[in-house]
Amino acid sequence: MKRFFARNAPAYVFLLPWLIGFFLLALGPILASLYLSFTRYDMVSAPRWIGWGNYEYMFTRDRRFWKALEVTFTYVALAVPARLIMALGVAMLLDKGLRTIGLYRAIFYLPSLLGASIAIAILWRQLFAADGVVNQVLAMVGIQGASWITDPDTSLYTLVVLAMWQFGSPMLIFLAGLRGIPRDLYEAAEIDGTPRWRQFTRITLPLLAPVIFFNLVLQTIDSFKTFSSAFIISNGTGAPADSLLFYTVYLFNEAFKFFRMGYASALAWFLLVIIATFTAIAFFTSKYWVHYENERD
Amino acid sequence: MKTSATDLELAIQMDEAARVAHELRLKRDRRERNGRILKHMFLIIVSCVMLYPLFWLLASSFKPENEIFGSLTLWPSEFQFENYTKGWYALPMSFTVFYVNSAIVTGLSVIGNLVSCSFAAYAFARLNFTGRSFFFALMMMTLMIPYHVVLIPQYVQFLNLGWVDTYLPLVVPRFLASDAFFIFLMVQFFRQLPRELDEAAMIDGCSPFKIYWAIILPLSLPAMGTAAIFSLIWVWEDFLAPLIYLNDIKSYTVPLALRLFLDQEGQSAYGQMFAMSVLSLVPVVIFFVLFQKLIVRGIATSGMK
Amino acid sequence: MTRLTRRALLGTIGAAAAASTLPATPIFAADRSIRHYWWGNPERDKRTFAVIDTFQKKNAGIAVSGETIGWGDYWTKMATQTAGRNMADLVQMDYRFLFEYVHRGALKPLDEFVGKSLMIADFDKGPLDGGKVDGKLYALNIGSNSQVMVHNTRAFKEAGIDADLINWTWDDFGKVCEKITAKSGGKMKGSDDLSLMIETFESWVRQNGREFYGPEGKVTATAEDVASWWQMWADLRKAGVVRDKNKTVILDPPIAESGIAVGDTAMSHYWSNQMVGIQAVAKDKIGAAMVPHKAGGKPGQFIKPSMFLSLSRDAKDTEAAIAYMNAWVNDPEISGILGLERGIPCSPKVRAALTPKLTEVEKLSVDYFTAIQSKVGPLPLPAPKGAGEVRDAFMRIGTDVVLGKAEVAEAAGMFIEDAQTIVERAQ
Repeated sequence: MKRFFARNAPAYVFLLPWLIGFFLLALGPILASLYLSFTRYDMVSAPRWIGWGNYEYMFTRDRRFWKALEVTFTYVALAVPARLIMALGVAMLLDKGLRTIGLYRAIFYLPSLLGASIAIAILWRQLFAADGVVNQVLAMVGIQGASWITDPDTSLYTLVVLAMWQFGSPMLIFLAGLRGIPRDLYEAAEIDGTPRWRQFTRITLPLLAPVIFFNLVLQTIDSFKTFSSAFIISNGTGAPADSLLFYTVYLFNEAFKFFRMGYASALAWFLLVIIATFTAIAFFTSKYWVHYENERD
Repeated sequence: MKTSATDLELAIQMDEAARVAHELRLKRDRRERNGRILKHMFLIIVSCVMLYPLFWLLASSFKPENEIFGSLTLWPSEFQFENYTKGWYALPMSFTVFYVNSAIVTGLSVIGNLVSCSFAAYAFARLNFTGRSFFFALMMMTLMIPYHVVLIPQYVQFLNLGWVDTYLPLVVPRFLASDAFFIFLMVQFFRQLPRELDEAAMIDGCSPFKIYWAIILPLSLPAMGTAAIFSLIWVWEDFLAPLIYLNDIKSYTVPLALRLFLDQEGQSAYGQMFAMSVLSLVPVVIFFVLFQKLIVRGIATSGMK
Repeated sequence: MTRLTRRALLGTIGAAAAASTLPATPIFAADRSIRHYWWGNPERDKRTFAVIDTFQKKNAGIAVSGETIGWGDYWTKMATQTAGRNMADLVQMDYRFLFEYVHRGALKPLDEFVGKSLMIADFDKGPLDGGKVDGKLYALNIGSNSQVMVHNTRAFKEAGIDADLINWTWDDFGKVCEKITAKSGGKMKGSDDLSLMIETFESWVRQNGREFYGPEGKVTATAEDVASWWQMWADLRKAGVVRDKNKTVILDPPIAESGIAVGDTAMSHYWSNQMVGIQAVAKDKIGAAMVPHKAGGKPGQFIKPSMFLSLSRDAKDTEAAIAYMNAWVNDPEISGILGLERGIPCSPKVRAALTPKLTEVEKLSVDYFTAIQSKVGPLPLPAPKGAGEVRDAFMRIGTDVVLGKAEVAEAAGMFIEDAQTIVERAQ
């Protein structure tokens, strides 16, 4: 008992703020939303227990739920790799040798600062309109562009482009990770005459693995939960023709626009299951490709 | 003689090696110079794409109202500086008030995030304890749940505590490591530091806190810098929590104030809104430029390992 | 170590607590306080805070806290506060949401105060009755409006249009669109494409002799109503006399992006109290026309309350709240500050007092209001629960029609079916 205490006490002291926050502030609302997912709750009158009713409706009768899943999965599949590759590529370019690196870093981070503001929504609608800047540029090389943002077949891609354009935060994390790789490893490799791409696969990738893993997990979670950009660009409705009906946009509308908080909670818990599954897979496979310094041998 | 021959041979070989090495270096330098030029060209082109929207925002903030939507040209037909001067005082409170409010909330939140999250991260990454995986999984779960469905239970909870219409719901959770993103981020970086460091320190009789404070933190400056930047930006731009918890307009933060300019159904002031949006970016950019130095510095230059 | 962390923690939390109380200090110590919550814009907020100041000066014992945010965020916050039983004492209400909030029990009826502390006996009865649900008054009208076809007077003059814009028909409307498009060489189209505007479609249904929602809240509009509506616009689109389809499918664009503000089109559909806002962004002088009539049909348009003031379920000091409400609609100084910004007041006295001080656009909307009085139909019943979702469905399905991805008749049938399901599920 005493040994148990001695072994665990320091850790729990460090964990204390989080433990207090989790058990006193976070857990209650989370459990409440789980409870609400089994009720019919319009936020004014008291919630009424309906068992699995919400979940049943979701899977058997709700066409828009499936549409929302389709939109969200497509987005995740496209945006996550696109953004990560972009971020890693630029981070590696910026990592070495340039004196003006600070300037570029700031420039590349700026778009992420704009976030999902109303300004971005207006700008995106103008950029990707039929007569927008994107099509004007395309016209110069002889391509007749579509009306990207109002065509249900292409509107989702404009959001993928937005995600790529705002690659600032994963880039910064990659940069911080690259900074942690000792320079002498590269110098030694250089002297051995190891080619660049080999240095990349032999040194950069393995040592950056924990950070790549972090970015992969976080970007996946974030992309599943994408809300603000889709909400604001589609004026809150998922328009045109539900092509921007992201899962969380649908969930938000069910809750706050149509007063179905119970149903929205059920939607949220199903999303949680999806995200948790993907995260668990990532953690499980990470044993094979992510190695930490403090766990060597 | 034989030895001197070998010596000579060796000398020649060494000379040869030096020559080859020199050539290689020259070649590499040349390659690198060319590479640098290419790299710069590439980066400049990318920069233009990255910056266009910002120029657009800046240009729009000087435009007369009906030009923002009507014309595609970047250059305003006339510069309306009063978007800035009038915008600052357009709302019932001047923006000075909103900036002060935002500064209070953001400053406290950033400190809270850094302290409490690095504590938790240190425990998860460097200490062994019963229930570690369990708590880690719980923490990850808080990252995954869509925020909107806990909004109402959370509101009720803070209402019962009497915290609504104060900054407490915005600030206190951050001192309690509510943002799992930062914990996870720091965990990933802390785990990268070699184990021997703690072990050596432990043998020297250092307490876990000393190790955290004197070894882990200084070696994790890039991670802490990153966390500080994100934390500041996200709190500064946070909109939903202030919307829900702040009622009195005197306590509004900048993003909330920006929303007062727009009325989908009626009269809006887009020019002023854009002008104030541009200004709201200034503190964040300054902070970014200052703190990114932390990321640049770091293990590589501190001579560790 | 423990001590250190705890001290650090307590210190910072203490600082947070101290900081958080800073802005919460009341302006002056009044023994009674009420909260008023509205959606606004810089102009409206200025006026409303001035009203609060005036009211507080005249009622020293009552402090009013003004809480405001833009329309888009207003309802999210309102729903949260409702769920937490922490609604402001007085909330601004919209006709679209009135029924939802009343039927869920979030508002208190005002009948017991009428004639005692709420003096509205001499108000126009029609607009006032718009705040009634199931025979009880739940919302006080603080301004009325009606549908209006806002048009560009310069473009109309240049195209030589002399149609009677109060009594015109859809045929006239089509011809006007043609003339304007031809005159400008296609640079300016006749009108915005209103295919997706359920508000205008509602007038269309009424012109056909039906209501969109029947007395029991059922959908009574028919698939033929929808099909004929979408077909008419499809024909106009084909003729190239209305706005580009890609601009049409942007739902609820802000006024500044509308065709009339940008200069793409000569006509747009709006509510009459929005004309001030439109004129502020439009380059040319605007004018007001009625929604075109159906030749030989019933009146489609109606006058409705544009905004209400409602007493919430969570109001504690109802007496103070009603005093404030009463001052809003009766106090000459206060109504002078408010002007027509929220719509046309339904007190004849207030209207008379305002008349000499009107601006040009305000005068336009008052004249328009007077002109349409005899041409409008009765106010439809408040929309049932689920109406907001039906509106979204109309836009969603209509988008496919506008983009040519769905057949008119088929999509119309689908919409009516969807609408019925939505309304049933919402009950």
